[in-house]
Amino acid sequence: MNTRSGNREGQGGSESRAAAACLRNVTRRFGPVTALEGVSFDLVPGEIHGLLGENGAGKTTLARILGGLLPPDEGRVEIGGRAVALRSARDARALGVAMVHQHFSLVPRFTGFENIALFNGGAWTAKGMAAPGYRDRVEARARELKLEVELDVPVARLGVGARQRIEILKALMSETGVLLLDEPTAVLAPREVDGLFAVLREVAGVGTGIVLVAHKLDEVLAAADRVTVLRRGRWVMTEAAASVSTGELAEAMVGGGVGAVAGKPPAAGADPAAATGKHAARKVASLHGVTVTRDGEPALRDVTVEVLRGEVLGIAGVDGNGQRELARVLAGIRTPHQGEAALPAEVGWIPQDRGHEGLVNDFTISENVAFALHGKDTFRKGPWLDWTRIEETAADLVREMDVRATSPAATAATLSGGNQQKVVTGREFLRGADLLVAESPTRGLDVKATVAVRSRLAALAREGDRPPGVVLISADLDEILELSDRIAVMVRGRLIPVPRDAHNPRDIGELMLAARGQAHQDDDPRGSARPATGSGPPPGGDHR
Amino acid sequence: MTTSTFQTRPRLTPALTAAGALLATLAIAAALLALGGYSPGEAFAALLRGAFGSWDRFVSFTLVRATPLLLTGLAVAFAFKARVWNIGAEGQLHAGALAAVAVAVALPGTPGLVLIPATLLAAAMAGALWASVPAAMKTGMGVGEVITTLLMNFVALFAAQFLVQGPLRESRGVFNQTDEIPAAAHLPDLVPGTRLHIGFLIGILIAVAMWLYLTRTPGGFRLRAVGASPRAAEVSGRFRARPVVWLAFLASGAIAGLAGGVQIAGITHRMYEGLSPGWGYTAIAVALLARLNPLAVVVTAIVFGALSAGGGAMQRDAGVPEVWVRGIEALVILAVLTVDRSWQALAGRGSRG
Repeated sequence: MNTRSGNREGQGGSESRAAAACLRNVTRRFGPVTALEGVSFDLVPGEIHGLLGENGAGKTTLARILGGLLPPDEGRVEIGGRAVALRSARDARALGVAMVHQHFSLVPRFTGFENIALFNGGAWTAKGMAAPGYRDRVEARARELKLEVELDVPVARLGVGARQRIEILKALMSETGVLLLDEPTAVLAPREVDGLFAVLREVAGVGTGIVLVAHKLDEVLAAADRVTVLRRGRWVMTEAAASVSTGELAEAMVGGGVGAVAGKPPAAGADPAAATGKHAARKVASLHGVTVTRDGEPALRDVTVEVLRGEVLGIAGVDGNGQRELARVLAGIRTPHQGEAALPAEVGWIPQDRGHEGLVNDFTISENVAFALHGKDTFRKGPWLDWTRIEETAADLVREMDVRATSPAATAATLSGGNQQKVVTGREFLRGADLLVAESPTRGLDVKATVAVRSRLAALAREGDRPPGVVLISADLDEILELSDRIAVMVRGRLIPVPRDAHNPRDIGELMLAARGQAHQDDDPRGSARPATGSGPPPGGDHR
Repeated sequence: MTTSTFQTRPRLTPALTAAGALLATLAIAAALLALGGYSPGEAFAALLRGAFGSWDRFVSFTLVRATPLLLTGLAVAFAFKARVWNIGAEGQLHAGALAAVAVAVALPGTPGLVLIPATLLAAAMAGALWASVPAAMKTGMGVGEVITTLLMNFVALFAAQFLVQGPLRESRGVFNQTDEIPAAAHLPDLVPGTRLHIGFLIGILIAVAMWLYLTRTPGGFRLRAVGASPRAAEVSGRFRARPVVWLAFLASGAIAGLAGGVQIAGITHRMYEGLSPGWGYTAIAVALLARLNPLAVVVTAIVFGALSAGGGAMQRDAGVPEVWVRGIEALVILAVLTVDRSWQALAGRGSRG
């Protein structure tokens, strides 16, 4: 069914313009897993085409095939109306296809300008210097696309939003007919998302077709002209964004019958009045006056906080304001330079960087699960690890968390990002600790996985005789508001409690953003002296 | 102990890699031999006869020569598994050999039941001590161990040279070698009537123990985790990489040192210049060809032992200089690395959907 409809779509349908790029009946397999099956897809010049689907639906695979990073097993790729065989990203680049990855590919020590010049090899002279006049071209291009970029700061010192703009400018310096963005909003704060979409509008305005891989439905609907939904590697629908609703899209993505998608899981039902009773007895962790420095600069400043059993403490804030250090202190792997941390013996921790910290890619799911179990007596037999029991536990986890994998013996590297996160989440629950730190637990996850992880977190904090205290660190305000009993905002290393009557997006957002502007003035004396292209002040809050 | 289906990798791949590497090597070596004017068939036949031609050739030559390769190969594999690039097995082996001689010569009249364990223990401790210097430099100051372990080899070799020419020179003062160790310190034969001593058995026992440790114990799990990703080990496993790195250095050094002690007590019975023809380096090829699997190291050590044993026969019977065997060994290393990469490229293309 999907093949027939896909063909109709692929042949242009009602579109009269030539496609900027299209896929015809593309199939791609990874070992036993079929990531894409007979999918057709077309991209029209000047459109923003949202690509939606759950984890493992094949979105990233499709983008990588278009970007030349993966060859299709079957089917055809066409760029600008001609069938092409892309062997590498370089091939794709030569045909005007540029890709901005989920994980950026910038040299951290180089400035934005150096990165842009480095990538666009033609910009270099024999002496290894950027060709004269190239700087002007970069600035002109940035102005044309209304991109606020900081060209003279090492990108390591820029926040993710600022890095992403560099990445986009880098991709667009040469003639680009197709721009692929893989989950570009996953790393951004709400205000930055709006900024990104404004940029994409400009880019589309000059005739570039944009593929926007994303998982937040309302964002995609707001930004895209058309949307395509994939489900389990198959094409489901392609529609004009104006003519579909969030509900229809959600249903198309998850295959119907999943009511949880439409609404939030039951909001936090804890009664704050009851929560104050027996305060001391419920305390599972506390920090007092904790200061941590990183690279000589304070990353946490005088943080004092208590975590109570059975509550979710939400910590909002833009990335890079000390959340990472806070998580490490709470997890017990970083000792504060000043102040005291009283922590339980074991802490569950869902780290933000699941690819490098939460998982070993070469290990199987069972082995990755064993990280939480290998120290427990119940998973040992004398001196030996009880692998049978660990594997059973891992198999249970795979089932309960709905991990899409061939078996618990599959390596983590073969899982999609969302499925990896499910493994990490399930594993940290297994620790049975009194304190659980969840760092951006649903970042990059699709609707269904997000709902699953959030409801697990909520249930964890409220059910059972001795529920743990949960610290939820997230840049996603909706998530914070949905799950938290108490909320604090993390701003430049300080933790600011949010009064209960300010538990709404506007007030918290203002707290975050007001503090950003203020922080900019306080801590960034370089101010407007920097040659920033485009209009308006450089986004100071992006600085780490 | 549980026997589960659990393994870190698909089972066939390492064996296929090794087989592919060996086949590629044979093909290239045959072509080179032909280019050099030799008959590849004759040369290989002579090599095989020399290595496997008779029970005695196999046991007294191939297995005897495989023994130091087995132990040093295990030493390298263990360290590499923890991503500790110990290139210093050669030096650790020399340190072990010197310590073995020193202890055995210093305790004449001690019964074998005491003297042999004391000798081998001294060898292992000396090897660990030798490895502890790069270990301290890596864990304390972040100095890369590739260069430090390599340089420690030269220190060990020259120290051994100095000692056998001077302080430890034999009492009759004829050759640059130490006195012979007491007969009580000689390793018993493993197969009566051959030169094979129990050192080979020790190697096999260590291989099995190492395999059990790596695949079945919490400590082995931690070691593999640190080898795969120190950051994930710390964040997901909540344990420090540093003690694991120390363990890898010390155990690796001890096993390499033991190789030196076993060679002294089992075969040469004294220390002299040029004791090792570079076993500590060949060990890297042995370990890599085995894909760092201790049980497979037993097989690859025998393969390299056979190359060594067959090399002499090849020279004698087919007139091919023995140096060709060194060339073939080098080809094996290159082939392993190449085939390994190709496999990874084939099997490991990212599969995010």
